[in-house]
Amino acid sequence: MSSLQNSRKKIAGFLFVTPALLFIFSFMLYPLINSLYMSVHKYNFVYDKEPKFVGLGNYITAFSDKDFLVALGNTFTFAFFYVVFVMVISLILALLIFQKIRFNYYYRTAIFIPIVVPLSLSALAFMWILQENYGLLNHLLGNVLGLKSLTFPWLNNGTTAMGSIIGVALWATIGFETILFLGGLQAIPQDILEAAEVDGASGLKKVFYIILPNLKETYILTGIWALLHGVKVFIEPMVMTSGGPGVSTLVLYQHIYHTAFTYFDMGYASAMAYILGAIALLFSAANYWVNRTKEA
Amino acid sequence: MVKPMNGLPRLSWGKLLIHLCLGVVSLVFLTPFVYVFLNSFKTTEEIYWVPQSFLPKQWILDNYLQIGEKGHFGDYFLNSVIITCTAVFLVMVISSLAGYAFARLPFKGRQLLLGFILMTITIPLVVFLIPMFLMENAAGLLNTNLGLILPNVAVVLPFAIFIMRSSFVGIPKEIEEAAEMDGCGVFMTWWRIMLPMAKNGLITVLIMSFNAIWGEYAIAKTLATDQSSMPLSVGLTLMKGEVWDFGTLAAVIVLSMLPPIIIFIIFQKRLVEGITQGAVKG
Repeated sequence: MSSLQNSRKKIAGFLFVTPALLFIFSFMLYPLINSLYMSVHKYNFVYDKEPKFVGLGNYITAFSDKDFLVALGNTFTFAFFYVVFVMVISLILALLIFQKIRFNYYYRTAIFIPIVVPLSLSALAFMWILQENYGLLNHLLGNVLGLKSLTFPWLNNGTTAMGSIIGVALWATIGFETILFLGGLQAIPQDILEAAEVDGASGLKKVFYIILPNLKETYILTGIWALLHGVKVFIEPMVMTSGGPGVSTLVLYQHIYHTAFTYFDMGYASAMAYILGAIALLFSAANYWVNRTKEA
Repeated sequence: MVKPMNGLPRLSWGKLLIHLCLGVVSLVFLTPFVYVFLNSFKTTEEIYWVPQSFLPKQWILDNYLQIGEKGHFGDYFLNSVIITCTAVFLVMVISSLAGYAFARLPFKGRQLLLGFILMTITIPLVVFLIPMFLMENAAGLLNTNLGLILPNVAVVLPFAIFIMRSSFVGIPKEIEEAAEMDGCGVFMTWWRIMLPMAKNGLITVLIMSFNAIWGEYAIAKTLATDQSSMPLSVGLTLMKGEVWDFGTLAAVIVLSMLPPIIIFIIFQKRLVEGITQGAVKG
């Protein structure tokens, strides 16, 4: 290839990425830097004319702010239960779907469909289902199954509200994690499975001794994804409970949102956003590190 | 385990158990859709009945016919369609240009840029929201469709660029070299030869960005505070808790969920591939 062509390619390369860079710089890189700047300033959008430098003040405030600590605790509670359930259920579903059985396509479709619909609207639908008097869930439990003692005002009680939010998050994302697990299952070399069958391992034995130990990379992939998703939870509590009752389902993302756009305390909100960002980056750095050591 | 079936499959107890499990799970996953769908054909009074009628006593179409006349439903729809179509189109054009550059055109700082773009995928959106709000406030873009299109494009781009990059990487170099021998310039090579070969990647980008933007909530909630400028994903949630016309709301929810569901049913395979690819990279 001539050097003229090479230099033309370099210029072309630059031109080809320019539109993308314009978007990414102005709506991601600049905001990233700007919110770091805001996070060390006191700035109320309504009252303050200029941001006032406060150093690490906002970060220190956060750790003595009761609501922040509650929100942080709720976020981790949510993330913990979410990660455990989403991984176990998705793994089981992936193992079941992986069997070549009839109606497979229909089962898959049903489990995957929640991924594509707007989450805020699914959350609305679940509000009806969970409603105390005319909701479907209490109707099924109380009137159809005759389990009156299991009917609850689901969203009006701290524990069941958190449980409901976890449930909706599971409903919305199990399909996604199942797809990841199916990817892992497909990557298991066929000869390993066949060798196991020759050795007389079948059914559950094969699952426990051959398949599950061969999914190590997939556990990491799905685990990190679920953790990241868990700490970033927002829409479900925002739509279904507004963080309530009280602050029992207030999560970090939501607390930041309200601090910034209900109270307009944008400096402080930026600091909390950076804390959440740091948590998320920590998890993805772990992911990156694991992938690196795997490749090396 | 994986044996080819010939004729009628033998139905063992194990298989029956699997069918039972998956059947129940499928039912649970579909229930919210069925429930809202059925409610959309009931009168609002019937939705409140205790004990409830699962199936409508009398199927009515009023809820659908009244959408245009009630509240801001028409605005929400129009906003969602304009924002999603424009943003998805921009994402497809920009990501197929950038993806090609990252795959085949070496330029200065390429690896560094790629690394930065990779990182942005994991940063929670809330970190960007405050500066976005301040910027758009200064530029007068709050409560406009353009004001939602631009950040949506930016947020979806990193992922789209990765998908496009890997589809271009997968095309053999010889094809491109042959085009260059024939005197095709870089742009023509991209447009005439490479882009058609990266069609599958482009479809994946189309589906994933459509779903992401059609259902986007946080950006719209922040940057569109006037009801007349809201998309469906935010506007409809305002009705929650209020005593309102639940029948019409159900009808609108059904219509808003329909486009992504139809696209999903047509392109299920592409979507599954996109998710697998994206998760591995992100």
